[in-house]
Amino acid sequence: MLRQIKNLSKLQLCNLFGLNVLRFSKDKKAKRKKIALGLVFAMLIVILAAYIVGFSYAFILMGMSEVLPAYLIAVSSLVIFFFGIFKAGSVIFQKKSYDILCSLPVPQSAIVISRFIRMYVENLLLTLAFMLPGLAVYVYFIQPRISFYLIAIVEILAVPLLPITAATFLGALVSAISSRMKHKNLVSALLSILLVLAIMLGSSQLTAVEGEVSMEMLANLSNTVISLLGKIYPPAVIMGSAMVNGDFVTCLACVGAFLVIFAVMTAIVSVSFHAICRRLFSTSAKHDYHMETLKEKSVLATLYKKELKRYFASSIYVTNTIIGPILAVVFAAAVCTMGIDTFKALPIPIDVAELIPFALAAIFCLMTTTCTSISMEGREWWIVKSLPINTKTIFNSKILLNLSLFAPFYIASEVLLIIALKPAPLDILWLLIIPAVMILFSCVLGITANLIFPVFNWESETAVVKQSASAMLSMCGALLALVSAVPVIVIKGVPADLIKLAICAIFATATVFLYKKNNSFDLQKIG
Amino acid sequence: MLTINNLTKHYKGSNKGVANINLEIQAGDIYAFIGHNGAGKTTTLKCVAGIHGFDEGKILIDGVSIVKNPILCKQKIAYIPDNPDLYEYLTGIQYLNFIADIFKVSAADRQQRIERYANEFEITASLGDLISSYSHGMKQKLAIISALIHAPKLLILDEPFVGLDPKAAVILKGIMKDICKDGGAIFFSTHVLDVAEKLCNKVAIIKDGTLISSGKMDEIVKEGQSLESIFMEVVDNAQTN
Repeated sequence: MLRQIKNLSKLQLCNLFGLNVLRFSKDKKAKRKKIALGLVFAMLIVILAAYIVGFSYAFILMGMSEVLPAYLIAVSSLVIFFFGIFKAGSVIFQKKSYDILCSLPVPQSAIVISRFIRMYVENLLLTLAFMLPGLAVYVYFIQPRISFYLIAIVEILAVPLLPITAATFLGALVSAISSRMKHKNLVSALLSILLVLAIMLGSSQLTAVEGEVSMEMLANLSNTVISLLGKIYPPAVIMGSAMVNGDFVTCLACVGAFLVIFAVMTAIVSVSFHAICRRLFSTSAKHDYHMETLKEKSVLATLYKKELKRYFASSIYVTNTIIGPILAVVFAAAVCTMGIDTFKALPIPIDVAELIPFALAAIFCLMTTTCTSISMEGREWWIVKSLPINTKTIFNSKILLNLSLFAPFYIASEVLLIIALKPAPLDILWLLIIPAVMILFSCVLGITANLIFPVFNWESETAVVKQSASAMLSMCGALLALVSAVPVIVIKGVPADLIKLAICAIFATATVFLYKKNNSFDLQKIG
Repeated sequence: MLTINNLTKHYKGSNKGVANINLEIQAGDIYAFIGHNGAGKTTTLKCVAGIHGFDEGKILIDGVSIVKNPILCKQKIAYIPDNPDLYEYLTGIQYLNFIADIFKVSAADRQQRIERYANEFEITASLGDLISSYSHGMKQKLAIISALIHAPKLLILDEPFVGLDPKAAVILKGIMKDICKDGGAIFFSTHVLDVAEKLCNKVAIIKDGTLISSGKMDEIVKEGQSLESIFMEVVDNAQTN
């Protein structure tokens, strides 16, 4: 059994991050792309590390050093958990290799454990990216005893276990429920989104501070943060405290509990693995079709319809791309219900109302459908390439899908914000135009990113939607939306309207430039 | 109908590809393209279908360059790959309608052609099901129907008989003959040398990316010989040379 787990895990891990392609591919271009992808990841890790170092330093300066390890553990765990809910189902119940693995003399528990191990390794890397920079700052300033280092190593290794277990449980539950439905993918996507929204809402209720923030609370910030962390994720507080106090017993008890929960979860999933897979992968065929009258459609309309069907056929594609627009509406609703004055009362020297169009744009641009729309064609990419369709029409259909999906959420959030902010006529214009221009830019940028980093030979949709370089690169749209707000805040002496006009003009010009560049791309070069 | 002049394509970082391929396929030809695995058949067919670009040479369809005017060329041809990877999230009829829309086939024509070919291949009842529920053979039949929906002048087929049941293979051979009778042409790769010998009037043999023999079937396969023996002989000779 152990040998089988080892072999299967090796199989799962050998092409993680495209390592096998990098090792064995003779295609230099493919290798260069993998290296470029590695550089994109490295860049993101550096940005993340810089951010973590920054806030860790702030924690030390504010005299909250003892809270820092717990905070880092909580942040890592929550990130793993929220990413995991969307991903766990598709990793554990991966379709591609299911038939081959089932034909081999391996127990289903070995298959499940090997897939868990893959998720564990991925998330351990994520944990390291979060924990190491922060703990480095802690060590530099606090210079703890040797016990801190030993406990830190053990706890870092244990941090991913519980969030993966919880995410897998919920992911498997969503998969199990949706596997009984006719529209499995759509139900799975809806359940995942509802689950995340429910958890977000629940945690915000849990951590809501009743009444005004008092000076006493601010003075005793460490306790306030610990109390909040305790409500969100209690194990973080226990593990963080064990690390700071050199408490080996608590540390080992915590890790032991994690391992037991992890083992129980693996056993539960192993028992129902085949049943869930069979239901998930089964297709119903009625064999009762009678020819109907067929209708003609334009090339763009038929491509758009195809894109729409492709989109809703993948739960992970839907959940990852629709969460941004949903959050945008949630954000607008929050501004509407809490009132803009609550935001204006925050102790920051910025007119928050000025930032709202940019914030809205950034939320929308978190993940576009276009940035993976070419890769999602997968092995069927030959169809579009062999048909008499020009590149522009193909990309237009992909952009159109993205815009039509975002449109209802855009309208809803705009209406809510206009009600909440009661802006002047010119400000209404900016509230409408700034997000619109940036959404359009992100859609077009998504196509560009996917043309630079296409992936067609994927085994699972997760590899495209969650792990591809184009998905990472397209997040630059959200980043640019946020960065573009800086001139509005920083530049004084120039009318804000003029700056906003300039920002919109720059984004519009960049959109036109990228759109033209994309449309002149030779599709024979990819796939 | 199809002219391939000095076609050369190399894959970067690999010694695979094709070099200096010259072929002329005329109206009425059923042209077999044979060779061992990895010889360059699929690469050549994909270049003709406009899926792959190439380094040197020319591909003309009805005198029009696939490089200079790919849309016009693709309107005249149909391509079926060796593995029918179709849009699994569409139903059979949705896929056929999609292809018909792309080729701007009128509603009446598509209706008539789909009815005819779907009945011949006996998949009408399954057209309302998702392609993901189809067997390999059914997908191949659907791919064939989609290739015929716009009545192409040139069919480019990569291993079209793989996965087909015997009856469907016979029907496909009949359709291929009909297309050629009507002035069309077919260029297809196959490993089934018996089929190639009986069905085709011309044949080309490719080895390691180079064309080693091509021409009329009856000139290459003399009386008392078989395509199989000729293929083995030609390939072995090319190896010794």
